[in-house]
Amino acid sequence: MHYRRWVVRRLWLGILVIWGAATTSFVALQLLPGNPALVIAGGGNNYPSEATLRAVERTYGFDKSIVTQYLTFLGRLLRGDFGDSYQLHQPVGSILSSQAAASAELAAGGAIIGALVGVAVALATAGRPRAAGAARCLELLAVSTPGFWIGLVLLSLFSFDLHLFPVIGNDGVSSLVLPWITLALPVAGSTSLVMREEMEQALVQPFALTVRARGVSESRLRSRHLLKHTAPPVLTLSSWIVGQLFGGVVVIEQVFARDGLGQTLVAAVEGRDLPVVTGVVVFVAVVFVLVNFVVDGLYLAVDPRLRRQPA
Amino acid sequence: MSTLDITHEPDPGRAASGLLVTGNLRARRPSVVAAALLLALLAVAAVWPSAFASHPNQPDLGAAFRGPSPTHLLGTDQLGRDTFARLVHGTRTSLLIGLGGTALAAAGGALWGLVAALGGRIADEVTMRIADILMAFPSLLLALVVVSVLGPGQENVLLAIGLSLMPIFARIVRIQAKVVASSLYVSSARGLGVSPLRIVVGHVLPNVGPSVLVIATMNVGGAIIAGASLSFLGLGGSASSPDWGSMLAETRGYLQADWWLPVAPGLAITLTVVALSVVGRAMQQRAKGSGR
Amino acid sequence: MQLSASQRSAHHGREAPRTGTRGRVSIAAAVIVGSLALSACGSSQSGSQQASATTQAPQSGGALTYAVDKTQLTLDPAVSAQSVTALIDRNIFDSLVVQTGPSSFGPWLATRWTTSPDGKTYTFHLRRGVTFHDGTPFTAAAVKASLDHVVDPKTASQYAASLLPTYEGSKVIAPDQVQIRLSAPFRPLLQALSTAYLGIQSPKALALPVGKYAPVGTGPFKYGSWVNKKNVTLNRAASYASAPSNAKHTGAAYLDRLNFQLISEDQTRYGALTSNQVQGIAAVPPSDVASLKSSSSAQVLSVPQPGNSYSLYFQVKSGPLADVRVRKALSAAIDVKTLIKTVYFGQFPAATNPLGPTTAYHDASAGQELQGFDLATAKRLLDEAGWTTVNSSGYRTKDGKQLTVEWPTLAVNESASDNTLGQGIVANAKAAGIDLRRPSLDVGAYIDAVKKTKYSVIDAGGGRADPDILRFLYGAKQTFLTGGGNTSLVASPQLDGWLNDGLVSSEPTKLAADYSAAQKYILSNAFQLPLHDNVSIAGFSKTVKGVASDVSGYPLFYSAWLDD
Repeated sequence: MHYRRWVVRRLWLGILVIWGAATTSFVALQLLPGNPALVIAGGGNNYPSEATLRAVERTYGFDKSIVTQYLTFLGRLLRGDFGDSYQLHQPVGSILSSQAAASAELAAGGAIIGALVGVAVALATAGRPRAAGAARCLELLAVSTPGFWIGLVLLSLFSFDLHLFPVIGNDGVSSLVLPWITLALPVAGSTSLVMREEMEQALVQPFALTVRARGVSESRLRSRHLLKHTAPPVLTLSSWIVGQLFGGVVVIEQVFARDGLGQTLVAAVEGRDLPVVTGVVVFVAVVFVLVNFVVDGLYLAVDPRLRRQPA
Repeated sequence: MSTLDITHEPDPGRAASGLLVTGNLRARRPSVVAAALLLALLAVAAVWPSAFASHPNQPDLGAAFRGPSPTHLLGTDQLGRDTFARLVHGTRTSLLIGLGGTALAAAGGALWGLVAALGGRIADEVTMRIADILMAFPSLLLALVVVSVLGPGQENVLLAIGLSLMPIFARIVRIQAKVVASSLYVSSARGLGVSPLRIVVGHVLPNVGPSVLVIATMNVGGAIIAGASLSFLGLGGSASSPDWGSMLAETRGYLQADWWLPVAPGLAITLTVVALSVVGRAMQQRAKGSGR
Repeated sequence: MQLSASQRSAHHGREAPRTGTRGRVSIAAAVIVGSLALSACGSSQSGSQQASATTQAPQSGGALTYAVDKTQLTLDPAVSAQSVTALIDRNIFDSLVVQTGPSSFGPWLATRWTTSPDGKTYTFHLRRGVTFHDGTPFTAAAVKASLDHVVDPKTASQYAASLLPTYEGSKVIAPDQVQIRLSAPFRPLLQALSTAYLGIQSPKALALPVGKYAPVGTGPFKYGSWVNKKNVTLNRAASYASAPSNAKHTGAAYLDRLNFQLISEDQTRYGALTSNQVQGIAAVPPSDVASLKSSSSAQVLSVPQPGNSYSLYFQVKSGPLADVRVRKALSAAIDVKTLIKTVYFGQFPAATNPLGPTTAYHDASAGQELQGFDLATAKRLLDEAGWTTVNSSGYRTKDGKQLTVEWPTLAVNESASDNTLGQGIVANAKAAGIDLRRPSLDVGAYIDAVKKTKYSVIDAGGGRADPDILRFLYGAKQTFLTGGGNTSLVASPQLDGWLNDGLVSSEPTKLAADYSAAQKYILSNAFQLPLHDNVSIAGFSKTVKGVASDVSGYPLFYSAWLDD
C-alpha cells in the first residue's frame, strides 16, 4: 500500500519534471535573440530573400502565435513526436536513437569503470592511513582537473605519441578506452572519497569490533559488511554522478571526436534547432527521472529508516 | 560540470562530508595550512594583481613561444605575452566566476529554500517542483542553454553557473530550515507571537548558514571547472581580461609543441580546486565538531 | 552571404560560404594536377614530394579517410553554404563546365556553349551517354530541374541561389541541349556553374521529399552513407566516364572508397594524421605545418585561394569609422605584417589587396593605396580627426566620448588562431588609443547586430573566386537585408559604375581597368583593412598520391590513389 502510493506519486512527479523540462527548453529557445527563420534559412551567413523567409516561417509554423506554437508543440510531445530537425530535416526520434547509443556506451563504460575503481581503491585503503593519504591526493587531483584537459593530455600521450589507442574509427573498445578513462577518473575519485569516509566511520563502530571479535577475516569484513554499510551514501552519489556524466559526455565527445548526444545538443543549441534541443532535453530528463526513481527505491530497500519519512 | 556539487539530497551532510578529505583534521594540518596559504595568495592576486606582474595583454610579437626563463617565469604565449602575468591577472576573473557563481547560487538558493520551507504547503510544492525540473538538467546543459540565451561572456557564464547550482542550495536550505522551524524553541517563539521574519533572521539563518558556507566552499571549485568547460566549448566569450579557462582553451593547440603554455593554466585550475576542497573539508570538520 | 567573420576561413576548412568556387583553376593547375606538393606558396615547398607522383603508375583500390573540421548540415549543394558540403559533393556531382584559369573555362558535362549577343541567353550542348548514379539518364531536363531546384524558395538555398541572381528559367531545346535565360547579363555565370553548389543532380532524387534527400549526381563517387556528426562514406562509381576536360585521367576513380571523418578538435585531427589513423586532414593548424612538412611520413598541400582576402570591413555610414581619418588611423595602428606572420606561423601571406593574388583581375599595384602600419601616423590622424584628448585608460576621447569601436565576431566559426589574431589587433589598436571591442556572439545575436548596424567592424573573407565578389561586398544595393555582403554600407556611384561594368562586360581590357580602379578606390578610402590572403592547408600521409586541387584550393580526390 505504502509502496504503491510512493510509486504513483513518483510517477506524477516524473511527468511533471519532463513537462517542465520540455517547456523550459521551448521558452529558452523563444528567448534566444534573433529570428529562428533567419537562422534556419541563412545559417548566419546570408540574408535570405523575403520569399524564402516566408516559406520557412510557414513550414515551421513561426507565423502562428506563440500560444498556438506551444500547444502544437505539447500536442506532438504527447504523441512522442518531437518533429523534424530544422537543420537535418530528419525526425528527431531517429537522430536521438542513433546518437543516444553512442553516448550511452561512453557514459555507461565510464561510470562502471569509475565506480569499480573507486570502490576497489576505497576498500583497499580505508583505515590504512598511509595508503589512504596517497590515494586521497590522487583522488583530489582527479576530481579537481577539468575533464577536457585530462582528455587532451591522455590523447596526446597514448594516442598520438605512443600510438596505443586510436581516436577514431569503429575499432570498438580500443577507441573507447581513452574516453572511458577520462570519464571514469572523476567518478572513481569521488566514489572513493565518499566510500572511504563512510568506511572509516564504520570501522570504528561497535559492529566492526564485534565482527572482528567473531574471528571474521579483515578482507571479508571489508568486502561484506563494510560494503553494505556504505551503500546509502554511494547511492546518493550515484544519482549525482549520472548528472555529472552528461556534462562530461558533452566535453569528451568534443575532445575525442566522437558522435553522440553532447555534440548533437551543442550544435542544435547553436543552430536554434528547437526540435532537437527539446528531444535531447526530454530524453535527459527521462533518464534523470528513471535513475532517481531507481535510486530512491533502492534507498527504501537498503535503509529502512527512510521508509518512515515522506518520499 | 562541477565535480564537487551535491545534488540529490535526502541527507545533505552525508554525501557532502564524503566528498571531502577524510581523516583526522589534526593529522592533515600541514596540507590545510598549505592550501589556505595558496588561497590567500590567490586572493591577493585577485585583488591586487599588479603586485606580482603587470601588462598581461601586452603583445611582444618578436618573443612569442619562449620557454620559461628569468624574464618570463612561465614563458610567453602565442602573441609573446607573459604567461605568468596572464595567469596572475586571470586569477580575478577565474575566482570571480567560481566565487560569484557560487555566491549567486547560495544567496538565491537560500532564499528559495526558505520560501519553500516556511511559505506553506503550496509554496513548498511549487518551488521544489521547479527545483526538480531544473535539476533534471545536468548543470552543464543548463549553463549551455543559459549562455545561448544570454550570449557568451564572462558575466553570463557566472550567471549560468549560479543558476545551475541554485537548486542544490535550495534543497539543502529547505531541509535544514524545516528541521530548525519544527524545533521546540522556534515553535515556542512562534507561539509567543514573534514575527516570521524575525524567526528567519534570528533562528533559521544562523542555523542554516554554516552548512550553506560549507557546501558553497566545496562548490567553488566545481564552478571554476564549469567555467573552464564553457570556455572550452567556445562559450566563455573573449574578454579583455584573461581567465584560466580561456587561456587553457586558447593554448590547447600547442600541447605537443609548447607544452608549458596549456599546462600553466591547467595546473592553476587544478591546484586551486584542490586547495578549495582541502580548506572546505577542514571547515566542514570544524562545523561538525562545533555542531555536535 | 558573405557576411560574416567566419565565412572566410576557407583555409580552415570551415563554413566558408563565400567560397563559391570549386572549379579547378589553373594558376596552379599545371603544377597542381597530379602532385600533392604543389603550392604557389613558394617558399614552403619541398621538392622531394613532387617527384614521387610522376614516377609510379597509379594503383586502383583502397579506402582513403580524410578528416574534416566541420560537419555539414545537408549534402544538398543547392541548400548548403558550407565549404565542407562542397568538398564532399564535388566527388558526387559533375558541373556543366570546369574552371581552368582565373577567367577561363573548359567543357565538362557541357561539351560546348554559346552566349547570345545581349548576354542574357546561354545555350549548352550536353555530353551524351552519361547516367546518374540512380540510373537516370543525364539530359537537358536534369539541368533544368537542378537549376530550378536551386532558386525555388522552398529549397531555402543558403548560397547557391545567390550564384544565379538573374536566373529567369531554363528551356529544354533537345535532350542534349539546354538554354539558360537571364533577366539581366551576369558575366560570372560560367564561374558560378563550375562550382559544386550548382552541380547537376538527378531529377528523380530531387523529386523525393526533403527528409528523404540523398545526393545523386554523375560524379566519380556515389553516395554511400552519412552518420550524422561522424562520417560520410562515398563509393567509387565504376562506370564513370565524364571527367572534366582538365582532369589527369579519364574513366573511374582509383579509390574504392572515400571516407570523410569529422574531427573538429584541431589537435585531435592533427594527431590522427601523424599517428596514421587517417590518411588526410583538412585545415592543418598553422602551428603544426612546419613539423608536418619535416615529417618523413606526411606531406602538406598548401594552396592559395582566390576571392576576397580575409579583412576587416569598416562600417562607414555611422559611428567613429564614418570619418576616413579614423579608418586610416585604425589601419595605421595595426601591424598586420608582423601579426599575421606570428599568429599563422608564416603560413598565410599578409594581404595588401581586397582580392587574393590568384583572383582574376587582381591588381597588385593597388596595394600602394593602402594605409600601412605606422603608429605615429595613426596618432596624427586621430589628432586631425578631433580625437585629441587621452583619458585615464589610455583611450582617445572627443567631447568627453571615448573612441570605442565595436567588432562583433561569430563565436561558432572562430578558430584559436583567429581569436589570437583578434586579441593582437585589439592590443595594437589600444596602443594608438582606440578602444576596439570584440564581443563574441552566437548566430542569432550576430545576425541581429548586423541587421541593426550595431557594429563598426566586421571581419570576413574567402568568398567566391571571381572579382564580382567586390560588387557583392560594396554594391550600394548589396546590403545585408537584401541578401548582399555590403556590411561597410558603402554607397558610391563611382564604385557601383565600375563593378556593374564588371558584371556585364565581356571585354578583358575594360574589365581589368574597371576592377583595378575599384581595388584602388576601396583601399584609398580605407573601406577595409586586408589581413591575409587565404590558403587552404591540407595534410596527407605520404602514401597518398595524385590528389589534385581545385581553384578554391580544396583537394580533389578523383585522381587520388594509395601507394602501399
